[in-house]
Amino acid sequence: MKRFDIVTLESPNRAPLRIEGFLFGDETTTGPSVAIVGAMSGDHINQLYVASGLVEYLRTKEEEGLIIGKILVIPAINAYALNMGEKNWPLDKTDLNMMFPGYAQGETTQRIASRLFEELKGYDYGIILEGRRDQSMCLPYVKLMQSGYEDLECTKDLGLGFIHYRPHDPIETAMLQYNWQLWETKAFSIVFGKNGAIDQGTSNEVHTAIIRFLSKRKMLDIPVFEGRKSNLVDPNRITLVKASRAGILISKVQCGTHIQKGKVLGKIIDALSGERLEKLISPCEGIVTCQYAHPLIFQNSIVFRIASVDLCCQIDTEK
Amino acid sequence: MGMIEEVLTIELPVGESFRIQRCRYTPIKEKPTKRISVVSGIHGDELEGQYVCFLLGQWLREHREAIKGTIDIYPAINSLGIDSITRSVPFYNVDLNRTFPGSKNDFLPAQIADGVVNAMQGSDFAIDIHSSNIFLREIPQVRIAKSQEDVLVPLANLLNIDFVWVHDAVTVLESTFAHAMNTIGTKTLVVEMGVGMRLGMAYGHQLLDGLLNLMAHEGILDIEPLKVRFPIQSHVGEVAYLNAACPGLFVPVIEHCQVIEKGSVVGHIVSALSGEVLDEVIAPIAGILFTIRAYPIVYEGSLLGRIFGEKQ
Ligand SMILES: [Zn+2]
Repeated sequence: MKRFDIVTLESPNRAPLRIEGFLFGDETTTGPSVAIVGAMSGDHINQLYVASGLVEYLRTKEEEGLIIGKILVIPAINAYALNMGEKNWPLDKTDLNMMFPGYAQGETTQRIASRLFEELKGYDYGIILEGRRDQSMCLPYVKLMQSGYEDLECTKDLGLGFIHYRPHDPIETAMLQYNWQLWETKAFSIVFGKNGAIDQGTSNEVHTAIIRFLSKRKMLDIPVFEGRKSNLVDPNRITLVKASRAGILISKVQCGTHIQKGKVLGKIIDALSGERLEKLISPCEGIVTCQYAHPLIFQNSIVFRIASVDLCCQIDTEK
Repeated sequence: MGMIEEVLTIELPVGESFRIQRCRYTPIKEKPTKRISVVSGIHGDELEGQYVCFLLGQWLREHREAIKGTIDIYPAINSLGIDSITRSVPFYNVDLNRTFPGSKNDFLPAQIADGVVNAMQGSDFAIDIHSSNIFLREIPQVRIAKSQEDVLVPLANLLNIDFVWVHDAVTVLESTFAHAMNTIGTKTLVVEMGVGMRLGMAYGHQLLDGLLNLMAHEGILDIEPLKVRFPIQSHVGEVAYLNAACPGLFVPVIEHCQVIEKGSVVGHIVSALSGEVLDEVIAPIAGILFTIRAYPIVYEGSLLGRIFGEKQ
């Protein structure tokens, strides 16, 4: 294992920012290459935890001589934000994952992105560990944007249950995944967990999925169990259960729960009077893939996303 | 008196509702000619637009008989942010101006964006007033995407601003308010002026004259057009960026809006700890310093200023 600084940046008063990489494999390993990017945001603790767990795992595998490709793990991009409970770059509040491909002569975070991206170019595969951009928690899923250069096949080797495969939004053209794909790395994101927290269950699942990927794609010489057959998620088959009222959310189910039509998912109570404002009922049979994860909920927020095999349209729940 | 209306309310968890309010002015008798929306506070730390909204409202209250169109004033789009010095949408920490056109079926920032578009849909014009951010001070300027140049530059020239900056299209900017509104046929100008968290009174009065002039030209106000300044056009020159070469404390030596020579000193980056001058910031071209850093702590790359000058 080689531990090295990918980016260092002096601060006016703080100790310098260091983005550290952990590289596995050497001249004798001839397999493909992968770079795994962890916490780009200061609240991506799950992502940090999975990435550092991989470093520890790969270190022992390297001692056993089982690394047959080149594997780079970068657990934390935005250590400055992680160290002070910020989400974005602490001075100007810009989101590092909105700065790609970066610009070497530009603003601070564009420069950081540019130096990082220089290091990431040329890998065969790119795995980005992402948190959600809202207050939800979800089952781990693959997020794959259609840039014209994406590779759907390889993401199936993760053996995760769901793949969101969709066109990109305008803002996603400034994200790492999109730009990495344009540079012909087979890049994809794994979105999982709850921001600001560690969820052991989903973290273990993502850890296992990445090891499966490394094995199937000939970077790690170990046998693995088969994963799940991935389902391509059709947005039409995701039913949104929304909160018609704001208040305190009490959820009765967990992500991954197979729910029957008409069963209770949770309730919203008035934060001051304690009165029950709304009973959240599942409008269809399916699997709860995602749920709102903050105890206080806003009106019209999506509380649950339910993936179902039957086509059901978007339905707002009744009171 | 204008009519104060709530155009969007969303319940918050604990005994409060998020709201966006507007004040609407219409003609006393006749049918309105055209409709304009004057918008500020998409970013909660930008307050210059609040003063412009006040000045415009004050003027309209005193000139009811001149009103021929519908004039909507929206001083605080990100009202949670404005009242708490928060640039983004609080709780979600998301830049509202990267969330347009929004959706009813998405998180709170997207619902706000969707509500804003719905409220303003049908306006002939929208003026989206920003005040840079807390880091940079700007002269009054309008920024226009290249694809909108033909439609929007003539309109911007009426606004009594100093600079019209036509920039290349950037895909990310397709998620802004201005792009969303221009797409649905509302001619929307983005004004940047002043600095975040502060008021520059002179700029407020300057833009008020511009707004009155634009409305006079478009028949929304029955008044004589004002004599306004004609803005510098970006295509006649080039913009040079001054980025910090090292971290430290930026101390400017010249004032905002000065005309400077090539090679002259704009400021210094100094070390508060060692007492050393770490770098001398030199103007790479001659021209007008139309942007200057207002927040002194800098990292490598932090923008210190922009100069608009002759093409080299
Ligand atoms: Zn702004």
